[in-house]
Amino acid sequence: MPGATRLRRIASALVVGSVLAVAACSGGDGATDGTGADGKPAHVSVWAWYPEFKGVVDAFNASHTDVQIDWTNVGTGPDQYAKLKTAFTAGTGAPDVAMVEFQEIPTFVILEALVDMGEYGANDDKDLYAEWAWSQATDGRKVYAIPVDGGPMALMYRKDLFDQFRIPVPKTWTEYADAAVKIKAADPNAYIASFGSDGGWINGLMWQAGCRPYGYSQAEAKDKVKINLTSPECKKVFDLYGGLVDKGLMAKDPFFTADATAALDSGKYWTWAAAGWTPGYVAGSLKNTAGKWAVAPMPQWTAGADDQGDWGGSTFAVTKQAKNPKAATLVARELFGASKAAWDIGLNKAFLYPLVKNVAADPAFTGKAYDFFAGQKVNEIFVPVSEKLGEFQYTPFQDFVFQNLNDRSAEAMSGSRPWSSVLEETQKNVVTYAQQQGFTVTQ
Amino acid sequence: MTRALPRTAPEDGGAPRRPSIERAPRRGSRGVTAHSLAGMLFVLPFFLVVVAFLVVPLGFALYLSFFTKSLVLGSRFSGLDGYVRAFTDPLLLDGFLRVLLFGAVQIPIMLGIALAGALALDAITTRFAVLYRLFAFMPYAVPAVIGALMWGFLYSKTFGPFSGVTSLFGGDPVDFFGGPLLLVSLGNIVTWAWTGYNMIVMYSALQGVPREMYEAAVLDGASPVQIALRVKVPAIRQAISLAAIFTVIGTMQFFTEPQIMARFAPQISAGYTPNLYAYNQAFAYSNFNYSATISFTLGFVVFVVAYAFVFVSRRRGAGS
Repeated sequence: MPGATRLRRIASALVVGSVLAVAACSGGDGATDGTGADGKPAHVSVWAWYPEFKGVVDAFNASHTDVQIDWTNVGTGPDQYAKLKTAFTAGTGAPDVAMVEFQEIPTFVILEALVDMGEYGANDDKDLYAEWAWSQATDGRKVYAIPVDGGPMALMYRKDLFDQFRIPVPKTWTEYADAAVKIKAADPNAYIASFGSDGGWINGLMWQAGCRPYGYSQAEAKDKVKINLTSPECKKVFDLYGGLVDKGLMAKDPFFTADATAALDSGKYWTWAAAGWTPGYVAGSLKNTAGKWAVAPMPQWTAGADDQGDWGGSTFAVTKQAKNPKAATLVARELFGASKAAWDIGLNKAFLYPLVKNVAADPAFTGKAYDFFAGQKVNEIFVPVSEKLGEFQYTPFQDFVFQNLNDRSAEAMSGSRPWSSVLEETQKNVVTYAQQQGFTVTQ
Repeated sequence: MTRALPRTAPEDGGAPRRPSIERAPRRGSRGVTAHSLAGMLFVLPFFLVVVAFLVVPLGFALYLSFFTKSLVLGSRFSGLDGYVRAFTDPLLLDGFLRVLLFGAVQIPIMLGIALAGALALDAITTRFAVLYRLFAFMPYAVPAVIGALMWGFLYSKTFGPFSGVTSLFGGDPVDFFGGPLLLVSLGNIVTWAWTGYNMIVMYSALQGVPREMYEAAVLDGASPVQIALRVKVPAIRQAISLAAIFTVIGTMQFFTEPQIMARFAPQISAGYTPNLYAYNQAFAYSNFNYSATISFTLGFVVFVVAYAFVFVSRRRGAGS
């Protein structure tokens, strides 16, 4: 339906103009796509895992007459992926649209599980989204996913304690290591942070250090993958953190456990190299220390540099099992892409860092003062980080890589492996695995 | 597919076999054709269920295990290559060794406590015994996932009651999630969950022992302890070995507790137990074929270990 496509394009153009304008005209948005030919709305099933998503779905359904979303929460990240992979193997049982984190996109692409949304006009959305996000979600002209949220990284720290003990906020990683010593001296029970055993977090730190360990492009070659985890840029991250753990200056609690949250809220940890979604996350869970935290840019490896990394972020992708790929594509594009109502919930309840440029640049977002950070407008730090994020690729078997990084790091933390061998061993395992899977591996 | 094995673990229940059943008179073998037809009809529903939910999935898993699917080259027949890989996979072998070590320590402790509890229950005849039995059985009624999560909080450095005990003496909170204590922590969860169950199995068997044997022993001048160890325990030997075999098989399939505890304990790796490894291969790495191979290898090992256990316990039983 070329006419409908043109209409949609016009609608998108209006959307790009102003987020507020979208809210005003979103009521009439539903009539633009004639997906429900028999008069009944087309139903699109969606899997996503945050509870606040219900509001987003309601907003979408209220503003569309011919497409309706049926939402299911089948579990967070790994649980949902396990179900998706089973469904793809079985050839049945997958939803039409699934929430997929960036690092999983190549995996689902190589499983031939995702629809190229470019065929349904998704290439028009390119300019809506942060450049790095769009490049991870697409491959040349093929659009495998529509970005939603990201996790540009910055350093959360206990401003009150840093001030009280006159410890300067670290601008470089060398200063960070110095601060770790001073914190231990100030309070023997305190740590500068915890090594959280989270593949995505480790990945963000490596990204920031200029480490580019993976290279894969379906468009260039399906069977070629670059794996180089042992470059000096990658190793320096593990040398720094491993050294801090070995000296007892860094704790070992995994993130997002009750212990780690309590440690953040009790003065046991003084910093957290966190992401753009953390302000919302921590504001909900750290009641005792609210108002005592602040955000600073990530410490740099070279003084005065401006290198950045990302931790987390998700997209919506249409699966090959979608009954109506056109309607499913519409859902993936418009769930967040064009809706102020969705972003109201996304920003204020689900605590997403928006990858829609207009939303991220909106003064309502950048100028938002957080009580948790004593009124600091922390998005003024996160937004430039997101804009600075460069190219980063993932392998089509990232679960295996992250699991290996976690397992080998855990061995180092328990003392059964030197930190210096974590990346070598991971590299070895991943290369073996990749070759077993039929890839030609370059380094 | 991760459970290619028949689920013979204790959770599937099955009434404890009483020794007295063996002595029940057997039905004569004459004029059985009509009877056997009726018998076959009675067996048919069970047979259909077995075929649909056991034989077919097992056969499919076996079929899968002879193929190798790679991300790039697709699926191809690879015969026994997968098995060669499984038996030389250091992660899988580590997992097996870990589970064997775990079982060697945990199983005797758990069955020992269960036996002691059953003997104690059998000895006390007050109304209190009913209550005690109920309490002992209760952990079994808690789903394994909930049990593991609950213990995850009890082990917590910040919230757990045990951390407070050590800090009373000025020590650091105990790290139940790491180092040498990790396997002990897991063993404690399993022991907590299953001791009561095994105790009830043994207690039920004790109920079936003819009381005359005790009277005879009393007349011979045996003390209560002697009666317990020399009369009661041998009388329920079959129930004990049944409990032991279920436990051995359940231990080899060790999965739920490590899977849940991995959230708190980074040291629980992808291949911590063979069953966990099979799960991760299938559902994290999309390696369904290798997962089937691991499951079958695991099934084979369970079969060998269980058979060896039966063989040894029979010989020891015959010897004494």
